[in-house]
Amino acid sequence: MITEEQTKKEEIQPVVKVSNLVTQFFTYKGIVKALDGVSFEIRPGEILGLVGESGCGKSVTATSIMDLIPDPPGRIISGEIYIDGFNTLADLNRQAKIIIKSETNVKVKRNKRYIKRHNFIMSHIRGNKISMIFQEPSLSMNPVMRIGDQIMEAILLHSKIEIADSIIRRETMTDEDIRKFYEDAVKTKTHLDLRGFVHKWSQDYGVAEAEDGIIEIIERNDQNAIQELKNIVAEQKTNIKLKYIQLEREYERYNNLLFDLNLQLMEAESKNDSLKINELREQIKRTQAYIRSKFSGYRLIKRFIGKRIEEPFRREARRRALELLKLVNIAGPDRVINSYPHELSGGMLQRSMIAMALSSNPKILIADEPTTALDVTTQAQILDIMKDLNRVTKTSILFITHDLAVIAEMCHRVAVMYAGNIVEEAPVKEIFKNPKHPYTVGLLKAIPRPDVKVNKFEKLESIKGSVPNLINPPSGCRFNPRCPFKMDICEREKPKLVDIGGGHKVACFLFENADGSRKEVE
Amino acid sequence: MELRYFIIRRILLLIPTLIGLTLLTFILVRALPTSLLLSQYVNPHSTLPRSVQIAHAKALLGLNYPVPVQYFFYLSALFHGEWGFMVSNFYTGPVLTGIEEFFPNTLQLTIFAVILSIIISIPLGTYIGSRPNSVADHAGRIFSLAVYAMPAFVLALVLQIVLGRGAITGNPLGVFPISGTFNYALVPFPVPSWLTSPNTSALVSHPTHLIIFDALIHHNYAIAYSGLLHIVLPVITLTLGILAGIVRFLRAGMMDNMRQEYVKTARAKGVPENVIIKRHIRKNALIPTVTVLGLLFASLLGGVVLIEDVFDYPGMGLLGINAITSYSIYGVMGVTLVFGLVLVFANLIVDVVYAFLDPRIRY
Amino acid sequence: MAEVEAFKIRRKEEKKRSARMEDFLFTLKLIFHNRIAFAGLVITLAYFIIAIIDYADPRWLGVSNLSDALAFLHGKAYYPSATLVTPPTLAHGWYYWLGTTEYGIPILPDMLAALKVDLTLSVEIVLSGALIGLILGTVSAYYGGLIDEAMMRITDIFFSIPALILALAIAFIIGLTFTNIALAFIIVWWPIYARLGRSLTLSIKNMNFIEAANAAGSSSARNIFYHVIPGVLSPLFVQFSLDIGTVVQLFAALEFLGVVPVDPFLPELGRMMVWGETYLIYGKWWAVIIPAIFLMIFTISVSLLGDGLRDVLDPRQRR
Repeated sequence: MITEEQTKKEEIQPVVKVSNLVTQFFTYKGIVKALDGVSFEIRPGEILGLVGESGCGKSVTATSIMDLIPDPPGRIISGEIYIDGFNTLADLNRQAKIIIKSETNVKVKRNKRYIKRHNFIMSHIRGNKISMIFQEPSLSMNPVMRIGDQIMEAILLHSKIEIADSIIRRETMTDEDIRKFYEDAVKTKTHLDLRGFVHKWSQDYGVAEAEDGIIEIIERNDQNAIQELKNIVAEQKTNIKLKYIQLEREYERYNNLLFDLNLQLMEAESKNDSLKINELREQIKRTQAYIRSKFSGYRLIKRFIGKRIEEPFRREARRRALELLKLVNIAGPDRVINSYPHELSGGMLQRSMIAMALSSNPKILIADEPTTALDVTTQAQILDIMKDLNRVTKTSILFITHDLAVIAEMCHRVAVMYAGNIVEEAPVKEIFKNPKHPYTVGLLKAIPRPDVKVNKFEKLESIKGSVPNLINPPSGCRFNPRCPFKMDICEREKPKLVDIGGGHKVACFLFENADGSRKEVE
Repeated sequence: MELRYFIIRRILLLIPTLIGLTLLTFILVRALPTSLLLSQYVNPHSTLPRSVQIAHAKALLGLNYPVPVQYFFYLSALFHGEWGFMVSNFYTGPVLTGIEEFFPNTLQLTIFAVILSIIISIPLGTYIGSRPNSVADHAGRIFSLAVYAMPAFVLALVLQIVLGRGAITGNPLGVFPISGTFNYALVPFPVPSWLTSPNTSALVSHPTHLIIFDALIHHNYAIAYSGLLHIVLPVITLTLGILAGIVRFLRAGMMDNMRQEYVKTARAKGVPENVIIKRHIRKNALIPTVTVLGLLFASLLGGVVLIEDVFDYPGMGLLGINAITSYSIYGVMGVTLVFGLVLVFANLIVDVVYAFLDPRIRY
Repeated sequence: MAEVEAFKIRRKEEKKRSARMEDFLFTLKLIFHNRIAFAGLVITLAYFIIAIIDYADPRWLGVSNLSDALAFLHGKAYYPSATLVTPPTLAHGWYYWLGTTEYGIPILPDMLAALKVDLTLSVEIVLSGALIGLILGTVSAYYGGLIDEAMMRITDIFFSIPALILALAIAFIIGLTFTNIALAFIIVWWPIYARLGRSLTLSIKNMNFIEAANAAGSSSARNIFYHVIPGVLSPLFVQFSLDIGTVVQLFAALEFLGVVPVDPFLPELGRMMVWGETYLIYGKWWAVIIPAIFLMIFTISVSLLGDGLRDVLDPRQRR
């Protein structure tokens, strides 16, 4: 039951909101100021394109959101990243103190306790609420694990409770339940309705492997249908000790509780609410003690017969993995699931990556140049799959690329990055029709366009100069050394990203005053 | 399925290696000046003139044939178990019998050392490698380097002093015997037949020639226990020698793999850090480690010669050294050949393990 | 016009050279930054400097052989028990700080003098092994085909016998003397470098710049000398640094086994340890432990240097 109000509220709240993100790398050659106050947001169901030259900080932005910046040498210095309304960087200052003595002499004092907690929290968020696919599919898969195992790993990490529930339901199903299901199923009107109904039921009751058989029986609708149904369900049942499944489920549930408590604690700490902090700490301690006392025996048992306990979970996870592989249109999913990465082509691997990323219905998928390493036909297929997924599952996508044609094809909105800053952000049509920032204008001019007739001997226009060294970036606007419209103020001050109407934002002094207010020009 | 084919192909590849190995020992034997080779067959007290004796010996050794044909004679002799005869203080008799009697002891030491070092080094290397530049890392590195840099015989000597019984009077740590295979004082009188050997001054047990197992078979538990105590120090020395190497390579492999893209993927899936280390990184890091295991095993076999000498443990090493000091060419070549064979088969096992760990290799 | 072209080319060359210089300085900086590798470098250099001093004038280090030692003991500072191993003492000058070994030879100067022999030996062995291996490995890998296959089979055979045992067997055949054992070690050592050189060459051979050189009409020999060998050198140098310590150890081991005749007039670490072993059982540990530690420090620092070099030369480690 979702009311109008709730939907409205959800629409307002972005899935990911990044504000003033600063990420730096402390290298022997100096501090690389890779991100310099990046802000943007992604709304539910939206595809946001992030575009820019190589080395402008697109990938750093993505890895910062996932908190996968390799440390050392990199660290997020400041900023906020809201994932699903929760600021994952709330305890940033507690994690490490950074003492900058000079460009090449930086000391990072890490607080292991907070980093450990942060990792614990992030491991529940990553892959669950937010997923990522990478540029080189052949390098991004573990070469010594089967594709199926890698997808199953993701599934088992985040949907164990669901799987346990369905197994328990299946094992405790009575004849009465089956009869009731049969009567409901017969009542459905069309074939499609029936399929949907049976699909949901078989998912919930962990008998999805027999789904086709069940549909066939119900459609025949004859005398001994119920008996056949009972047989087919009984076949699916296995003699598993439900005790262990329940224990595993409980264990997982308490872990999730611990995660929730830690989230709340982090939030309370960022607000300096000492009363709540103490209360939550107490609660976390109690929960941990409880887990220890209740599950220590179970964990010991699991060391010895862990494989047997995992078996039903793995079976269900394998089925789900197959389903995911079918979802991404892979040819021969039964073969792919047993293959090693080196046996598959780049396109197949990238599809498996997408399947893996989608395993727990994430709110947002970050795609870091997912098609760069692929050939053109495969590229188009992958893009189609992602577009379809976005339409069907309403997963938001942050699409990172340097290819403007892909952006035009895929995205709803575009953010243009230059040297660690977002310089322009606008709906996709607007940016191609009416680019504002000199850099965007230059970027668009650099694309060869068959529809615009030019003299064959004329060169394509390119932006003069080259990408600045981010150890010593230009002062003020980082684009100023290459800008044809450079003014005095550009060297002194940094322009802010301001809205110039219609959701079109630009960071340039041509369109704003020094105080950040919008300039009324043209 | 694929693994099986890989193993078959690998076994077929053994043939050229084995031919090469025998060729090498053959060349070494032939490289010895002929007069030196023949001098062993000349009896100064014989009534036959020296030249006749030499001609006899030449015919006996097949030296009149062309060299390639001699190689086939050599091979056929090897196959028929005619490995020559050796005379020394330590062992006198056919070389092959000597090898049969002393090889089990060497094998026992190396196998114990390999198993022990793998059991210790894999968790240690994983722990150290997953925490680069931590205190544990530095301590582990320095320890492994120190052990690697210490000459094996010095390490053995130090262990003898610190843990050896009777090396220093009144040393509370000195519980392990420092030489031999077992305490001879425990031998019952008359000496049981399973403990005697016609060829050697040392006591050699039957049927396995391993004192621990033979004593257990014959229900002499005191001797079995004593035998067990006697292998402790040699095995520790050998273990320390290759432990450092494995830890070093595993650490490097862990650090190398930690930067790989697939680790990023695993993190992006939300896999907890300890699982990433155990399930993803370690499995990949073991692959390069396994490839150097063959080399480490070679150094272990070299080390065993030294260790047997220090601990006076009658094995192939002691046999080889005695063959050298008593100028017995067949003894030296027999020992060399056997060590070569062991290494060849060890490399076979290493390759199979490698293929098992890395699916990319068994195309 | 031509002058302008020449100028341009010169500018390019200069730029390249300055880039190379910068690269070298950066490498140095990284080594300095890596303190452990730097310590390794300093200690290794110290050992080599001592050996070089000994070459220049052995008197600077005190005794260098037994007859010198005895003359020294009776001539300058009388020491009562010249034939016994005596404990470390401070009373009779720096020669005795680490005690004496057999015949009352003071350990410290003996050890320092031993460096000359040991380092020369190991550098000789490893250098000649590396040179032979490098040339055979790179050439066979560069031409490939039958040569390469034959080379690999030959190295396979060498690798199928443990190095120490093969060296012993070879030395046994050619006669157990000091020089012959060194020769045996060279025979055992070259396959390691042949393998290494081969695998590195194979990876370089397929790189674009070799193809570009071929396209520009460069000959094979020129390619090998100007492109392949420089690319192979730095990893080879790492292996070289690791092996130098190992060879001294193996040599000492052979002497310990008693298969090499111990020359009392030659200062050598292995000989010192062999002498010392006799006294170990009487609790006179210094006669064997101190030379062992002296050798250990060398091996450790050389391998620390090697590790550091590997890290520094590995482009992935340069951040």
